[in-house]
Amino acid sequence: MKEILTALGRIFIRMPIGMLVVLKHLFKKPVTLDYPRKKKPMAPRFMGRQYLERYDDGSERCVSCGLCAAACPADCIYMEPAENEKGERYAKVFEINLLRCIFCGFCEEACPEEAIFMGHHYEFSADNRDSFIWTKEDMLVKHPRKDNPFKTLFRRVRKVYGVGEKKG
Amino acid sequence: MSEVVKEKITAVDTVTCTIDGQQITVPRGTSVFDAAGQIGIVIPAFCNHAKLKPVGACRMCYVEIEKMPKLQVSCATMATDGMVVSTNSQQVREGRKAVIEFTLINHPLDCPTCDKGGECDLQDLTFDHGYDDSRFGFDKMRFIEEEKRDTFDDLKIGPEIVLNRNRCILCYKCVRANKEAFGEYDIGAFERGDLTEINATPGGEVSNPFSGNLVEICPVGALTNSDWRYKIRVWLTKTVPSICNFSGSGTNITFYKEDHKNFVYRVTSRCNDAIDDGWLSDITRYGYQIVNSESRLKTPLIKKGGKQVKASWDEALAVIKKHMGQIKDQSGGVCIGGLISPSLDNASLYSFSKLFRTVFKSNNIDFRGDYRYLPSVTDSLFTIAASQPFSISDIEKSDVIITFGTDLIREHHNEYLKIRRAVNFYNSTVYSVNPYAVKTADIAKSEMVYSPGTDELVINGICLVAIEKKLVNSSAAAKLKSKISKLSPGVLAKLTGLSKEQFEELAEAISSAKKVTFIVGEIVARSLDRDKICAALSNLNKLFGVQDKGQLAVLSRYANSKGAQKLGLSATPYEIVKDELKKIWGEYPDCQPRNTDAMINLMKKEEIKGFITVGANPMRLYPDRSFASEGLEHVDFLVACDMFETETTELADVVLPLCSWAEYDGDYINLEGKVQTGKQAIKPKYESKAAFEIMELIARQLGAKLFENEQVKNEEIEKLLKLDSVLPWPDDFLKIEYEKKSSQDGYPVPLFICDDPHHSGHLTEKSPSLLNFSDSAYVELSKGLAAKIGVADGDPLRVESPVGKIVVPAKISPVLNSDVAIIPRNFSSTQTTSLLMRKKRVDSVKLTRVEE
Ligand code: SF4
Ligand code: SF4
Ligand code: SF4
Ligand code: FES
Repeated sequence: MKEILTALGRIFIRMPIGMLVVLKHLFKKPVTLDYPRKKKPMAPRFMGRQYLERYDDGSERCVSCGLCAAACPADCIYMEPAENEKGERYAKVFEINLLRCIFCGFCEEACPEEAIFMGHHYEFSADNRDSFIWTKEDMLVKHPRKDNPFKTLFRRVRKVYGVGEKKG
Repeated sequence: MSEVVKEKITAVDTVTCTIDGQQITVPRGTSVFDAAGQIGIVIPAFCNHAKLKPVGACRMCYVEIEKMPKLQVSCATMATDGMVVSTNSQQVREGRKAVIEFTLINHPLDCPTCDKGGECDLQDLTFDHGYDDSRFGFDKMRFIEEEKRDTFDDLKIGPEIVLNRNRCILCYKCVRANKEAFGEYDIGAFERGDLTEINATPGGEVSNPFSGNLVEICPVGALTNSDWRYKIRVWLTKTVPSICNFSGSGTNITFYKEDHKNFVYRVTSRCNDAIDDGWLSDITRYGYQIVNSESRLKTPLIKKGGKQVKASWDEALAVIKKHMGQIKDQSGGVCIGGLISPSLDNASLYSFSKLFRTVFKSNNIDFRGDYRYLPSVTDSLFTIAASQPFSISDIEKSDVIITFGTDLIREHHNEYLKIRRAVNFYNSTVYSVNPYAVKTADIAKSEMVYSPGTDELVINGICLVAIEKKLVNSSAAAKLKSKISKLSPGVLAKLTGLSKEQFEELAEAISSAKKVTFIVGEIVARSLDRDKICAALSNLNKLFGVQDKGQLAVLSRYANSKGAQKLGLSATPYEIVKDELKKIWGEYPDCQPRNTDAMINLMKKEEIKGFITVGANPMRLYPDRSFASEGLEHVDFLVACDMFETETTELADVVLPLCSWAEYDGDYINLEGKVQTGKQAIKPKYESKAAFEIMELIARQLGAKLFENEQVKNEEIEKLLKLDSVLPWPDDFLKIEYEKKSSQDGYPVPLFICDDPHHSGHLTEKSPSLLNFSDSAYVELSKGLAAKIGVADGDPLRVESPVGKIVVPAKISPVLNSDVAIIPRNFSSTQTTSLLMRKKRVDSVKLTRVEE
């Protein structure tokens, strides 16, 4: 008898309570994301894959000084310096092996030219090892930055009127 | 000052001072800096250099000295008795901080792009002693050439040197080294104050044969070289100690290599005071590039249907087995000959000798591919003169130095610098006695230029004048006089083109000297009458007792010439070497020994059918090209081992790629007889093999075995090296016959074929950096001769000898002052040796302008 009562209680009292929770969540914002269609915005200081900056005129900042490679605890940066037609030093080859990289950010810290930064990119799954070697071409930011024309316009406006600019 | 005090001061030649609480006694005249160094206290410094005079330009080496009100620069302050020095007091530390701060006022923040980064004195000392931050807010001063604004302020001031004046801290080391050590004036300091800059002299470039040293001693990245420019960071390389392979002195070098790439990045000095003082010639510094050269022989080549095609080692060895075996069986081993380069290591040389003498049972070997009419007996006077002991460090201890028949800057760069040092730092007196004016003359007390081909008469003249003036022991004088007095000093003076006073000056210098160094060089060694000249030298030695109070020797030219001689690589080795070899091998071929000349002759007669060259290039270097080529073309089966394709490998039936000296461990014996080891820097490139391996492989192909293992080989070599290799001079004075030289009608200008100051032998033309200094042959003339012919610098000139003709640009020499022509032999593009005739003592040519 007692058992029958308990079972009924489960069906008619506990279950509706549980269903209520479900119902409540139906109208709440979900915690998961519709990845890969939607992506989670990363924290500003998130350290993903490195990228190489350029000067405003489009020339590469990196001079292949080798300090990032020297600072790298995983020894995953390889570069070959060379002289460009102007007589400046630049990186002819610049590679990072992301299978080894531990994303410590030491390279960014070591760089005296403010050339290398830890970016927000984190999607590097692949089915072969070679594609984990990121070359200079992969890491250099585009020049001119391929931007939505509207965004560029907004940025200009923002610059002129000084609104909405990020601090720091 | 009373007499007593004066006496005391002169009697004491050491001083005792206290540095950081430690007492030290040093010779008077030692700087505080050096004294501290002796007890292991390192004082930071920029401008001090152990081999240069102090200037006190950088002020980094401040120390505090008791009773002196201010800080003193330790490099330019001599230690005195009772001096109390402290090198690390509060005041000193602050002084250093200030010096660094001032040094950095105008120093750019270039470290990331600077080639010196990682081995920069300024970086290190700033890190150790400087402030963390700069207190100077204003803009840095910048040297800039407006039209070159984009090029990072770098100036190319020489074929290999790049200058960045912003980084210069004005220590003047470069200018001082150039002047004090190398006697060159192509770099200097200009302007005053803030604007002071180092630069090449206006209109010139820094291209002296020692310019690479300036880069090495620059404490910062102001002077860098194109060779190392932006190649690799120094901390990624490893260093390997080795020995220079291009000179006879065996200057000590360091290879900088990288293992993953199997690549040598540069060569720097490895200061060995007994040999090189830490200075390298550019040949040594940039010559290493041949190791990395793309044009090296990569695989063995076999001649098939008149064409050389690539092959594997097995195939090549099989061909060698077939042909050499055939020649050996059918005609006997005596029909096989070999020539090896004296730049190879002991093991290679010895294996070569053993291969020939025990496997082929032939005595046809030599290591001297670039001399004609070599002595064919063991105890020729030349061999004796070349075996005499010589010590490089004794040069600077000698008060009289005589260079005879040697153009040091083309033959022995290291000794050239040693002599300069002897003059500048030890007040030695130099006499330069040569058939043409040489660069050494600018430090010589007097330069004597005798007419080419009268070398022995000059020596006779000196001896006779000494006898006449009673400068020497009279009994010896009488004995000698009877032998050489056929021609009076006056006649000799006329024949040699010198004057009696000059003979007298030399005789007096030698007889009054406390210690003499008498250097004899390649001009004598290459002469056909070298034995006669050496006989005269033997007389001179005996008459003046030169060797009792100094040294007299013919210097050996190549990296291991001494080793080759000691290991019995000539056809006629020393008797003791022969006996020892007999003992080691239990056999020694008793067939007739044939040296290079004899072998080439026999090739022409088709009596030598098989020939092996190892690293040697007789086609280019033998001083009669047509003779050498006729010989080699007649050889049935020619095996040539070399690093590159050369004129000789082109003729070969089998070509084997040879390792460079950076690719294996090897022992080399320098001209002093000192054994030094060159360590392996990188793995053999491509499919190349070391010469000793190749010899062993050939022996095994022929069913023999040279060595059971490495140890046996080393033991055998050890036994030979233990033998005393100095041959005694003849006991008596020697008679020297005078033959009148017939002059060559129509060919009035004496010709000297030698090395370019930036090249050595036939391999350095594969080094791109050395080619930047000098990349093709030229004929060097005096201004007077050029005017006579009517050519200007760079004009093409036809050089004709009875046997050959070449057209090369004229180069007007700042040094030459007589009618001679000098042509370098280092460039394959010009067949210089085709001008030479084997039987000529002095080659002469006709120079004519090439009309447009
Ligand atoms: S530290 Fe910066 S400038 Fe130097 S090599 Fe790395 S990215 Fe380039
Ligand atoms: S000279 Fe030294 S301190 Fe100056 S930029 Fe070069 S590495 Fe840096
Ligand atoms: S270039 Fe170098 S060696 Fe010459 S003065 Fe300047 S810092 Fe010194
Ligand atoms: S090292 Fe003494 S002043 Fe420069």
